[in-house]
Amino acid sequence: MKIQEAMSIYEKLDILSDAAKYDVACTSSGIDRKGDGKHMGNTVAKGICHSFSADGRCISLLKILFTNECVFDCKYCINRCSNDVPRASFTPEEVCTLTMEFYRRNYIEGLFLSSGILHNPVYTMELLYQTLYKLRNECQFQGYIHVKAIPGAPQELIDRTGLLADRMSINLELPTSESLKKLAPHKSRRTILTPMRQIQNRMEQNRQELMVYRQAPRFVPAGQSTQMIIGATPENDFEIVSVAESLYQKFQLKRVFYSAFVQVNEDSELPALPGGPPLLREHRLYQADWLMRFYGFQASELLSAKRPNFNVFLDPKCDWALSHLEQFPVEVTRAPYQTLLRVPGIGVKSAQRIVKARRYGALSFGDLKKMGVVLKRALYFITCGGRMMYPVKIEEDYIMRNLLSVKERLPFDLEHYHQLNLFDDCGVAR
Amino acid sequence: MGEKTIFLCEDSTDGIFTGVYDAWASRLGHGNVKLALKEDMNYELFARYLEVEPDGEKAGKVAASLRRKLGDEDYYHIYCATLSRSREKADYIYRTVAAGLSGGRQGAIMQNLQNPAVCRVFELSRTTGNEAHRYFQFLRFRELESGVLFSEIRPENHILPLIGEHFSDRFPCEHFLVYDRTHRMFLAHEAYKQWVLVVGEEPDWEKAGKVSEKEREIEQLWKGFCRSIAIEERKNLNLQRQFLPMKFREFMTEMR
Repeated sequence: MKIQEAMSIYEKLDILSDAAKYDVACTSSGIDRKGDGKHMGNTVAKGICHSFSADGRCISLLKILFTNECVFDCKYCINRCSNDVPRASFTPEEVCTLTMEFYRRNYIEGLFLSSGILHNPVYTMELLYQTLYKLRNECQFQGYIHVKAIPGAPQELIDRTGLLADRMSINLELPTSESLKKLAPHKSRRTILTPMRQIQNRMEQNRQELMVYRQAPRFVPAGQSTQMIIGATPENDFEIVSVAESLYQKFQLKRVFYSAFVQVNEDSELPALPGGPPLLREHRLYQADWLMRFYGFQASELLSAKRPNFNVFLDPKCDWALSHLEQFPVEVTRAPYQTLLRVPGIGVKSAQRIVKARRYGALSFGDLKKMGVVLKRALYFITCGGRMMYPVKIEEDYIMRNLLSVKERLPFDLEHYHQLNLFDDCGVAR
Repeated sequence: MGEKTIFLCEDSTDGIFTGVYDAWASRLGHGNVKLALKEDMNYELFARYLEVEPDGEKAGKVAASLRRKLGDEDYYHIYCATLSRSREKADYIYRTVAAGLSGGRQGAIMQNLQNPAVCRVFELSRTTGNEAHRYFQFLRFRELESGVLFSEIRPENHILPLIGEHFSDRFPCEHFLVYDRTHRMFLAHEAYKQWVLVVGEEPDWEKAGKVSEKEREIEQLWKGFCRSIAIEERKNLNLQRQFLPMKFREFMTEMR
């Protein structure tokens, strides 16, 4: 093993970005903050992706671990203490230099700082705080900062850190507490949910403070998020979306991220995934996540205990529509916004455009197409001015056949994927 | 129907807005006028051609009344459309303005997407706006020996006016230059000052080639980071190309 002092910043960045790559959240969204006219940086609410790596994931933030030394031994993690991997730690100065120099060349939107547990959670959290303090107060950095809260760190320390960060997150790691017990023996559901609740309460308190005094310091203004690993443990999709739903409702999270399990360690507790990470499953979960956050769907509408997994062939919205054909066709010139949202092929933007445009006069199918409606999907479910686009039967088998012939655009190679593992990517036998 | 009058405008926001003003003030009737851009025109038979001299005052009047009567959002869409590379934009803009300012209902018009001209202006604005956003994402600065940040881009639409605000708000303390190779223009920002557009000047290529001492090292760090952050098991170059099309990669540090 190398001696840390001898390491160049290049080697450190190599090790510590490699170690951070399995963290999913690289979003820089959630807050608009204008520059102050003097110092470097601002933030944009919709977020900006600055590059895309070879796996097609966005690079928005400088995503690094402060250190990959760790006293925990989570089975799925490359940095677990029982692994023999090169270890490195940054100093707060190095993190600041990298962030500032990358930022001013427009490489990044800000910093994503996570860390392995060095010595103990309190010590580690203190290091993260020191780094953020330096970056905000000495470098006067006004860009985006996403920082991990380390479970087990004292509340006071998390509070102080949250006043410097834009977003905080605590990883749920795995969907259920049993799985957590099995794969992450040093973590428990309680140590994860407690700080999550604290951050939520502190944000609520901060809202009150801001009402009284507009200039009050803002606590985690872009909200908190979390992530869980998919496919390492036997939970079904229904359990996962239900967990996500309750996180959104009870903890008011901004985002829940799903991370297809990548096998980095050989371990008897971990599943073998000959077909690679369960990407299709991850994709379906994100689709469902969107339906829950923007389309007014509930987890119990999409799946049930009887039908606990997503359809491999159809996206969750089409799947839902096919099993609720009694609610279709929908008349686009009159249907309320919420109903339009439920039509396959109509998204948030096109639904908004339809609602606004129809105030000016009649709509035609041609207009709908120009507004961004995907007619080859929507045509089975809508009427426009009382007519359907073509004379089609509203019948499950017929529509299903036609929808399947319209190739779904998936973010990865479908051919290759289907041949290899059509069913075994879901972790459970059907 | 009488003879058609075609107003030839300069390809600029002021030029098009002056055209809108003149065509409107001619009182020939919306059906009898048409706006076109000056360059590479296809001349029509049985039409009268009028050259429009860009006039800041007239253009300002049009802009102000669009703002007042259609609202800021609609004005912004129309403004973005004037920056588009489309050759037909001037006439679509005129038709849209006519739809918004005449007739029984005056007011916000951009939501009326059934109107073909409005729909086209909306599309042009969206395309231009999207391209500007791409350069928020993919524009890269390099530090020159003088400490100035320098960047080159090759956009399809004239997006420099749309990105000036963003970058000068973000880097108030920096001197920076963005050179648009397509339109041969500069966006120049001096620290703590307003950004300006510079037309008709070439960059000093010799100076632009000399980067600062630290620059190479930072570039290496960034390239290394982009390499090591990718997950090998999820490798997907198609997806990467979908989000980051080849045409934007020409001047990107990590793609060189």
